Amino acid sequence: MEWADLVSGVLAAAIPMAVPLLLVGLGEMFDQRAGMFNLGAEGIMMMGAFVAFFIDLKLQTPWLGLLAALLVGAAFGLLMGLVCVTFRSPQGIAGIGIYMLGWGLSGTLFRVYVGGPTPIQGIASLNLSSLRGVPYVGSVLAVLNPMDYAAFFLIPLSGWLLFKTAWGLKARAVGTTPRAADTLGIGVSRVRYQCVVLGGAMAGLAGAYLSVCQAKMFADNITAGRGFIAVALVYFGRWSPWGVAVGAAIFSLAVAAQRLIQFYGAKFPYELALVIPYVLVIVVLACSRNRDKSEPTALGKPYYREYRG
Amino acid sequence: MFERNVSGKNASEKNVSRGKWKSVVLAFLLVCLLGTGAWSAPIKIAFVVPSTRDDMAWSQAMYEGIVAVQKKLGEANLELSISERLGNPVDAAAAIRQYASQGYDIIIAHGTQYQSLLNDIAPDFPETSFAYGTGYATNHPNIFAYDPQAQEGAYLGGMIAGLMTKSGVIGLVGPVEAGDAIKYNKGFEMGVKAVNDKAVVRTAYTGSFNDLVGAGDIAKTAIKGGADFLSGSSQQSVGAVKAAAETEGVYWIATDLNMKDIAPKTVLAAQVYRFEIVVQEMIDSREKGVLGGRAIPLTFGNGYIEMQVNLPLPPDVAEKVEKAKADIASGALKIEID
Repeated sequence: MEWADLVSGVLAAAIPMAVPLLLVGLGEMFDQRAGMFNLGAEGIMMMGAFVAFFIDLKLQTPWLGLLAALLVGAAFGLLMGLVCVTFRSPQGIAGIGIYMLGWGLSGTLFRVYVGGPTPIQGIASLNLSSLRGVPYVGSVLAVLNPMDYAAFFLIPLSGWLLFKTAWGLKARAVGTTPRAADTLGIGVSRVRYQCVVLGGAMAGLAGAYLSVCQAKMFADNITAGRGFIAVALVYFGRWSPWGVAVGAAIFSLAVAAQRLIQFYGAKFPYELALVIPYVLVIVVLACSRNRDKSEPTALGKPYYREYRG
Repeated sequence: MFERNVSGKNASEKNVSRGKWKSVVLAFLLVCLLGTGAWSAPIKIAFVVPSTRDDMAWSQAMYEGIVAVQKKLGEANLELSISERLGNPVDAAAAIRQYASQGYDIIIAHGTQYQSLLNDIAPDFPETSFAYGTGYATNHPNIFAYDPQAQEGAYLGGMIAGLMTKSGVIGLVGPVEAGDAIKYNKGFEMGVKAVNDKAVVRTAYTGSFNDLVGAGDIAKTAIKGGADFLSGSSQQSVGAVKAAAETEGVYWIATDLNMKDIAPKTVLAAQVYRFEIVVQEMIDSREKGVLGGRAIPLTFGNGYIEMQVNLPLPPDVAEKVEKAKADIASGALKIEID
């Protein structure tokens, strides 16, 4: 196998794997930057995956499916906000509740209205012949899904939103020192709601990507833990869009590489190959802990306006 | 009514003789009904599955088998209850116990993973038959094990792939390297090697039985690596079939049940388990008073497995596969997995 083939083989496998992680990871980053810890991302992804699939199945319009997944994700984000911002419930438990609700509801709706594995048309990959000439990666970049390009575009967009706009500053302020932000007249609850709704919408979109762009069908547990991996990737990426993107890329490249290693028959137990990406994330997390000050210090803490602590 | 009957002798005699006839006819009908079994209590079967009844794979194959028997016996004579998505052994054990205590006759726990649960539960309900598979160990007299010889059809599928591949690269998408998947993958590779020693069989595992997206990604990796024939077992293979269908000229060899509905132009052939015979055999066995204690193998020899071909095969390929099938069925060709 030549180097060019190897590189394009790994990339072709890694990009579709990285995109849902990137989408849900960027959403989770906004949540956490505002001090909201949303463990329900996996369940919201399941709902997004189901809704987008169902709309494509019934109306044959996958783009409308993506839009619906965004809205359903946002609605779940709103629910998370209601429980954790308005009612100030513990975020960890509420997130697990949201996860179970999304997971169970999507499965039940699928069971009642669809049944078994049913293929849909989905969103097909593009064929941009002008990109084929690019060395090593041309053959991969030319045949990506439109949503892949959109996801790449979302990295700088998220960076701009978080670090270059007044809203981004407010979001970071309510996640770090909510009391100071409140003193300056920033509505802590409102900004937290906005972030958790944005995060939910992104998680819904990530789920929709799995069902409409990748698998082109829906099945129980289609997300297979990707929502939880994304939560780890946000820590890994130190709450920065570029960091999250690097985390998603490393994780996906490791998964793709282990599949190629298996496929080309390297003689070692496949179970070891399977755990490589997870071990990698744990090692990097352990090494990078507390090296910078980007962590939102009010993460997971409900804000009591009346409390004089 | 009574007064009128006793008021006149003739009328009374007539009524008595009519009553006699009625009794005779009723008794006759009763004997007939009992003889045909129409009055016997329905057989109650509970079906516990790790995935869903319509997973297009392992669980659906058994579900269709039970429904086929239900149609044959009549819906009133076979009562079926299903508990889905019970991959978690704790939940599955609770469901199985509940079914047993509700008086179900046969409880089919459709997976190898349920074997130890049944070993725990079966002694507490000696009148109930329990069944699980893939497996052959039956530690109690009321446990049936069903044991599909996955390698037999896999061998034939491997032959088809080996004879028809143009690229010489064949990909296997595995779930977890255990049980059925080992039998299937090794049988498939033996089939390829038997007819084409230059072909390369490459295998990768997702590490899960139901990661459709992961299986689809492996299929895409395999296709990018040159594979033009793919195969694999378990529920997740649906994702790989769908991924294979996106590339023209790539074929899939299915197992458990025919997956042609997912991708009619891609699923070339399928090994199909005829679970309806297994279910019928368990019912018959119970009627004879044998509640379990034995393994039921599914083989080409006993006709419990069949090979279904969906797209036309070249005549020489069809001939070689037919001959190998006959040899496997007669025992002349043994597919032994070490």
